[in-house]
Amino acid sequence: MKEILTIQGLSKSYKQIKAIRNLDLEISEGEAYGILGPNGSGKTTTLSIVTGIIRQDSGQFKWFGDEPEASQRRSIGSLIEAPHFYPYLNLERNLKIVCDIKGMPYGDIERVLETAQLADRKKSRFSALSLGMKQRLGIAAALLGDPRVLVLDEPTNGLDPEGIAEVREIVLEQVQRGKTLILASHILSEVEKICNHVAILKKGELLANGPVRELLAEDEIIEISCNNNQDLMIKLKGSNLVKEVAIENGLLVVTLNEKVTPAEINTFTFKSNLVIHHMLSRKRSLESQFLELVKE
Amino acid sequence: MRRLLHIEQIKLLNYNPFRIALGIYFLAFSLGLIIYPAIDKQIPVISLSDLFRFPDVWFFLTWITEPYNILLALIVIMITTKEYSDHTFKTQVIFGLSRAELLLQKLLLLVLLAFFATLLLGVTTLILGLIYSYKLTFGIAMENTWILGRYMVSSIAYMSIGLLVALLIKNTALSLLTFLAFRVFVDPVLFLILRKYEVKWYLPMRATTQLTPVPDLIEIFERKMNNPEPVDNSTFNILPEGLPAWLNMLMVLLYISLAIWLSYRILQRRRFS
Repeated sequence: MKEILTIQGLSKSYKQIKAIRNLDLEISEGEAYGILGPNGSGKTTTLSIVTGIIRQDSGQFKWFGDEPEASQRRSIGSLIEAPHFYPYLNLERNLKIVCDIKGMPYGDIERVLETAQLADRKKSRFSALSLGMKQRLGIAAALLGDPRVLVLDEPTNGLDPEGIAEVREIVLEQVQRGKTLILASHILSEVEKICNHVAILKKGELLANGPVRELLAEDEIIEISCNNNQDLMIKLKGSNLVKEVAIENGLLVVTLNEKVTPAEINTFTFKSNLVIHHMLSRKRSLESQFLELVKE
Repeated sequence: MRRLLHIEQIKLLNYNPFRIALGIYFLAFSLGLIIYPAIDKQIPVISLSDLFRFPDVWFFLTWITEPYNILLALIVIMITTKEYSDHTFKTQVIFGLSRAELLLQKLLLLVLLAFFATLLLGVTTLILGLIYSYKLTFGIAMENTWILGRYMVSSIAYMSIGLLVALLIKNTALSLLTFLAFRVFVDPVLFLILRKYEVKWYLPMRATTQLTPVPDLIEIFERKMNNPEPVDNSTFNILPEGLPAWLNMLMVLLYISLAIWLSYRILQRRRFS
């Protein structure tokens, strides 16, 4: 797959605070790439650097395999933090400015306003819009010219549930159309629903990076209940089948060793003369994986 | 360049404070030029009407309208700091303008403003000259029009210094105050402190105002007293003060270049968040 964005050894400090440290990322064409992390983890700083808003202290990044240039940003649709437009201009004029910057005709304005469900407000001033509408205008501006790549930083920030759903729908549609998406968010479920690849940052460092499916499938966890949980726990700990066994709400929560299947646990329990009442494979959510990583 | 100018056009022609400030500029300019000749009638013995005759009118009007450049600089400050407060520099960079283009669009704007200010001055001077001159030939009317070029450079100098102040300080009120303090207080006070030294002529605002210097009014009134008949082809001098004209122009061009270079450096390093 073609490289869209390559980040190598990127670092940025604000006085004493290291916002990102020696960050390496590689994003390929067609990926929906989520950048996850708690507040202050360096998500916005990373996206601000690659969109030219701030300069890195060290390291480098390349767009489409080339050294960064302003002209490359014209084929990228970005929304970094809150959308900022000319408050006294109406939506149409604000988007005309974006078209002029990108060097494209005004013909696409109607389409993106329709997509963002703002067509009926095109003559309203930007300052007169609600927060949700402003956010949608930010996305509409990012969609102008049908860019190859979308860079969205917390696009659902400050939106009500309806607004979140609307924005998510717009973004998902772009992903389904094969666009490359780089999405920074601290809303884990959002990343899980939209992205197929994820990088987890904490205090500017990359903690984990890979396809969402792989990250979630790292360890298989099952919950078991039998006629003697204490006995089974001791026996499982003494075996080489599990990594970890704990009791949660009267259930044994068992993290399996690599390549061990729940069927083997079932056989092991049966051979230990114990009777299983309940056995369930627990799907790890991105949230639990994320919380585990950032807790460390 | 057309693209950058078009962006500025959309931004500014729909921005009320800009339109109002520009309206005030044109109003002050036009009113001034109506009022000055009217004052003439109130002053006994001395007639100022000689000052409005070709070719002297070119020197006189460039001198009296030079302070209007302050207003142009304040307009540039206002629209530049507004980009900061609305975070629109950031938006323009995100969508693909380089930092050099951010500066270029403002420079194009200030050259355009300077051009229109000079054009306005040229047209009004021509009208007043035509009204007040007794005898007219094309040669007399067009003599001294070169001063308009110096007026335009002076306008650009004012606005580029204004732009630098705005980019440096970012806050509108503080930038306006700093610029005004520099033009009205700091530069003149430094000029007074350094009055015994030649270096006083190298001060940025002083060098800029010297581009359109005070005409030798005493000379013209003396001439008027000695020869009460109106004479059209005797021009008055510009007071022989300050640096030689070429050096003065060079200094102002250096200050303009310095202001633009510093503005570029600031924009290159600025974090747009």
